[in-house]
Amino acid sequence: MSELAVDIQHLVKDFRVVRKGATSFRAVDDVSLQIRAGEVYGLIGPNGSGKSTTMKALLGLVAPTSGTCAIFGKDSMKVDSRNDVGFLPENPYFYKHLTGAETLRFYGKLCDLRGKMLERRVDELLELVDLQDARHRRLGGYSKGMLQRIGLAQAMVQDPRLLILDEPTAGVDPIGSRQIRDLILRLRDAGKTVFLCSHLLEQVQEVCDQVGIIFQGKMVKEGRLEELIAVEHQTELILENADAVLVAQIRQLVDADPAAQWVRSGKPRTTLERLFLEHTQKEKI
Amino acid sequence: MEEKSQKSNRWLKPRRVMVIALNTFTQLARMKVFYFLMIFAVIALVAQFLDLPQYSGPEAVYTGELQLLKGWCLGVMKLFALVFAIAATALLLPKDIEDRTLYTILAKPVPRLDYLVGKLLGVLLLIGVSLLLMNVMMTLVLSYRTSALMDQQIEMAVARGWSDAAVASLKQEISAQGVTLSLQYGVIAIFLQASIIGAVSLLLSTFSTSTLFTIMVSFLSYLAGSFQSDAAEFYRATANAGTTTASAWVMKLVALIFPNYQLFNITDAAIQGQSIAFGAVSSLAGLSLFYVVLYTLLSWFVFSDKEF
Repeated sequence: MSELAVDIQHLVKDFRVVRKGATSFRAVDDVSLQIRAGEVYGLIGPNGSGKSTTMKALLGLVAPTSGTCAIFGKDSMKVDSRNDVGFLPENPYFYKHLTGAETLRFYGKLCDLRGKMLERRVDELLELVDLQDARHRRLGGYSKGMLQRIGLAQAMVQDPRLLILDEPTAGVDPIGSRQIRDLILRLRDAGKTVFLCSHLLEQVQEVCDQVGIIFQGKMVKEGRLEELIAVEHQTELILENADAVLVAQIRQLVDADPAAQWVRSGKPRTTLERLFLEHTQKEKI
Repeated sequence: MEEKSQKSNRWLKPRRVMVIALNTFTQLARMKVFYFLMIFAVIALVAQFLDLPQYSGPEAVYTGELQLLKGWCLGVMKLFALVFAIAATALLLPKDIEDRTLYTILAKPVPRLDYLVGKLLGVLLLIGVSLLLMNVMMTLVLSYRTSALMDQQIEMAVARGWSDAAVASLKQEISAQGVTLSLQYGVIAIFLQASIIGAVSLLLSTFSTSTLFTIMVSFLSYLAGSFQSDAAEFYRATANAGTTTASAWVMKLVALIFPNYQLFNITDAAIQGQSIAFGAVSSLAGLSLFYVVLYTLLSWFVFSDKEF
């Protein structure tokens, strides 16, 4: 059994509100979740459902009203729990006066990296997020996608075992979004644990092993992705180079079985995103 | 990796605090704050070239000319330090929260106290460097003016047949109005006062939701500190047959919360060319350190429970 990277137990978070007839608002209501080391976990839910608050509680940015949060067994309210975590907030704005390389150096120094080791790490990360050409450019001149990528790089600066990404592809164009997704997959292959929340369900589906659905502060569904989305009583067949005769024969076989039902056949469709990427990549070449 | 996880993150690690302080310094410097120094340089240079003829007559009150120059320079320094200590400190924290830069910093192994101290030190570093540069400019202009005035006055004194003792006394009198150690103490007093005001601003910005509120209240606290000893004196003078124990405690409490900024008026003595004892500056440094530490600890007390 692998180690628990994230352990949230019965998290409740109330915020004080000044509203008629109410003194507090419950943003997170008895949420428990566990992420094993090396997994990619996607927390999905509509706006205001408590995703970001759960992440902030895990990072010690808000204090739980009740319940506990731990990162690799360390209490989230303790500074030491942050040794092994990197965080990318939603729509981050870093110090605009710094260049890409200076930004990474700043965060690296906060994590006690120094000298050649720090410089090597800065070079590696800029290459990883494909920002070598913009390393001397100030962040004030970065596009939204570039800011997200430098944000990811800063989150990874001390090579943490856990990455917490809040809407990592929000506002990023399809190419940038694909780059971030590929990066998450590479991180998973490298054994990192990723905890992300996103509105883009298709992307969550592509990268996550485990998924939790949060609604009005409560965890309403959780489990392994393939188990959650499989339609148990249906079977999908995709054939290549099958002529009409073969398809007709298969259909006859299905029709002969009283229990089985032919639901649909036709040409599979590509996604608009894939089409967009194919054409824009060609244009680039 | 195991080794990394074992790392302790004790408070006030000097290197980490300096990283935040230097970043704050760079941030403010790149906001083109140093342009203010160019204005200062222009003021100093204009004073150098335009004012001289007014005082060149034999009836000139030569010390007045140098005092005017010092008064201008120290006044501008004080204004810069005061405005900057309040505005920059009041702006930095809310900006980091608004831009969510604070999330990324506190998500690293950075204790909140280190962040606050780093921010305050960054502002103080910038004020210190700016005062140093202004001081260098003032010293250059003042020493040139003192030297020119000295030559002129001695020439006149010799022409009038003054005795050697009288000329030596004249020299001493003019030198006392030039670049002196007391003048440097005056500049240090400005820095120390700005440190306290910066720490007050920091405290206010940890719980205030409006930058304007922080700036206004910081300025009011400066005024309260500037007049508190006068107010206490007035109260003592007008109270019936001495003060009660309760009112005496209230006065002591007010005096503790609002530092007596009139103590920093040794700058005026520096302008007048009076000698300032090292002990006076040391006392001010001790007092400033006390208030800066007090306000920073209070800021930490508020900030450590703050949610983002």
